[in-house]
Amino acid sequence: MKRLYIFLAVILAVLLFLPQVLNNYWLEIFILIFFYAYLGQCWNILTGYTGNISLGHALYVGIGAYTATRLAIVFDLSPWAGMFIGALLAMAVGLAIGFLGFRFGLKGVYFVLITISFAEIGRLIALHMESLGSFMGLFVDFKPGFWNMQFKGNLPYYYISLGLLLFSVVVVRALEISKIGRYLVAIREDEDAAESLGVNTFKYKMWAIALSSFMTALAGTFDANRIFHLSPDRVMSMGLSIEIILRPIIGGMGTVLGPIVGSFLITLPAEWTRAYLSEVGRPGLHMVIYGFVLIFAVFFFPRGIMPFLNRVFKPFFIKPSNIKGGHRS
Amino acid sequence: MENKKMEVSGINRRNFLKTSAALGAAATISGFPAVLRGAAPKEILIGSIQPVTGPLPDIGIAMQRGNKLAADEINARGGIKSMGGAKLKLLLGDCEAKEDVGRTVAERQIKEGAVCLVGPFLSGVAMAIATLAEQRNVPFVIDVAALDAITAKGYKNVFRCFAKTEFFMTSMARYLDLIIKEKKVTIKRIAVTNAGDAFGRGQGAAFIKYVKDKKLPFEIVEHIEYPLGVKDLSAEVAKLKAAKPDLLCPVARPGDAKLLIREMYKQRLELLGIISPGSPGWYEPEFVKDMDKLAYYVLDNVPWVNPKSPKFQEANARFEKLYPGKYLDTNSGYAYTGVLVIADALERAKSTDPAALREALRKTNFKDHPMVGGPVIFDEKGDNINAATAMVQVLPDPNMDDRVKVVLPKEAAQAPYVFPWKQLWERGA
Repeated sequence: MKRLYIFLAVILAVLLFLPQVLNNYWLEIFILIFFYAYLGQCWNILTGYTGNISLGHALYVGIGAYTATRLAIVFDLSPWAGMFIGALLAMAVGLAIGFLGFRFGLKGVYFVLITISFAEIGRLIALHMESLGSFMGLFVDFKPGFWNMQFKGNLPYYYISLGLLLFSVVVVRALEISKIGRYLVAIREDEDAAESLGVNTFKYKMWAIALSSFMTALAGTFDANRIFHLSPDRVMSMGLSIEIILRPIIGGMGTVLGPIVGSFLITLPAEWTRAYLSEVGRPGLHMVIYGFVLIFAVFFFPRGIMPFLNRVFKPFFIKPSNIKGGHRS
Repeated sequence: MENKKMEVSGINRRNFLKTSAALGAAATISGFPAVLRGAAPKEILIGSIQPVTGPLPDIGIAMQRGNKLAADEINARGGIKSMGGAKLKLLLGDCEAKEDVGRTVAERQIKEGAVCLVGPFLSGVAMAIATLAEQRNVPFVIDVAALDAITAKGYKNVFRCFAKTEFFMTSMARYLDLIIKEKKVTIKRIAVTNAGDAFGRGQGAAFIKYVKDKKLPFEIVEHIEYPLGVKDLSAEVAKLKAAKPDLLCPVARPGDAKLLIREMYKQRLELLGIISPGSPGWYEPEFVKDMDKLAYYVLDNVPWVNPKSPKFQEANARFEKLYPGKYLDTNSGYAYTGVLVIADALERAKSTDPAALREALRKTNFKDHPMVGGPVIFDEKGDNINAATAMVQVLPDPNMDDRVKVVLPKEAAQAPYVFPWKQLWERGA
């Protein structure tokens, strides 16, 4: 384990130092990687650890983005504060959805449907509310400054997205080794068995969805102050929900590093192929390649890349004598 | 990683940029000429960002072609003469109709050394790029995107050739006024219809707001909104019939335009005519061909190419030769104009320095373009004050492809307009 932590510390040091030698474009790529890895990590808390698939996480991104932006426009409130208000609101919505879903024992595809429908309801509300800019969306004013979470260069965005990602890693890791994490995994593996052993499954699932929706909304505020335009069809779309789940699925659900590995694996090739192929006049081909990469990944690594990496690298990081059947609590 | 991926072209400067990036010297726009010690660049990079894939590939491709047509023309004429005949090189970017992708593409093009950006058809993407252009201090010329909010921010690097929504309505009111005076008709009661999508609601609401704000002498007697992809408009037309409008101002795409006309024919809705405040439903071949005689006499207020200008005829001839079956339309025409405007500014700036280029763009007065409207002149917000719309009308012509004609303004008119129209059921359709 020690070696693994040293290795991760080295990687972190590299990531902290990296911006000093990168230009804005490369920073942009890394921001995208961190941003989606973070979102994947938030989704992972709910789906990876409890097994309840959500296909409506864009809703929380949207709530976070719209709330903070609206507060900034009306009350001139700093997004640094607004993001937490948005997150609390998203958490309330998440708890409501969770209550409906878990209380009535919706499982599998039925839970997926309820998350999709709530995300659609959210999108339609935003689409028709004048105060949220309805179909045109909200245009965020560009006023660079730390207080406004807006910057001229990409460097601050890089560190904020990296900070978010680290925060999520710490949270998920803490969750993983805590009692709650154990309960969640037990729920994922066999909910009825967990229930019969006295685990309050409803309570812990509510914990998971609350944490997941709260954290997802924080990313929404960050995104709003980077792209400067919010429209329901972007921040609350099905497309974004799918984008969010791709990384952890490719990387490995229910693992701490899965979403991060997945994000690197998906974002980099997607970006390179798009840039290169559209420049040489073959636009659209990158989508085909992207599709093949996804099919390939799912076909050969049905549980994600992480278990495979674990198998390959575990002997290197963890002395064989220490390998036991996981922790005993 | 980066070098492995891009051993593509032997362009020295690109390689230079890449190695310098790899060495950790962030290559910026201003950094490049400095390295050459003020020598005139051999080629000038312009980033073209269009939605080539995604939901609007036809438009994206047409616009990219428009951008290319202009760049090739400038190069054939000997490049930018004030910079020793430097050639224009377009970096082709695909924003996939997504805002964050548009931003990333723009960021990349700036890294590659683009001195100016052009694009992107979609207002949301335009907003994302406009902010980036402001952050990186690179001029951005919007060829097509109509939303008023983009230039309302007062960004100093953003210029727009296309008409903003407000201009659409101003010229709509002007044409209405002209038609009423010329044809001596009384129009008091107007009905407005639109689909409930972003574009439909935007155009519909903007028109009604304009009529009310400017206190135009019309009464909006009915405003009907229906969902996009609607399959039946009989109830809506019945409502229209009850409202007894003199004039119908619909915002539609070909699908709902056809439904509307068929239903009006069935229910015998009596009108002086149809004048759309600006929507693609009324001139698309799909509508014109399928509706045949029922499509006649519909007027539509849209930015359009000027069929009479020699510039259009010459550019369109080249366009048709390159892409058989396609012609220079509103979108590709504006895309073409956008790059010409940039080239004209570069010629006057005599340098690729962003500040000089921005100043030159500010002072733009560019007559030689193929669109309806006066010379391209940008106001302090960066909007083209002469971006105009034309009235196009579907007129009887044995050749279906030639039925859509420009009828106003007079200097671009291919035929006189017909108003009031012959009622739908009197046409022997």
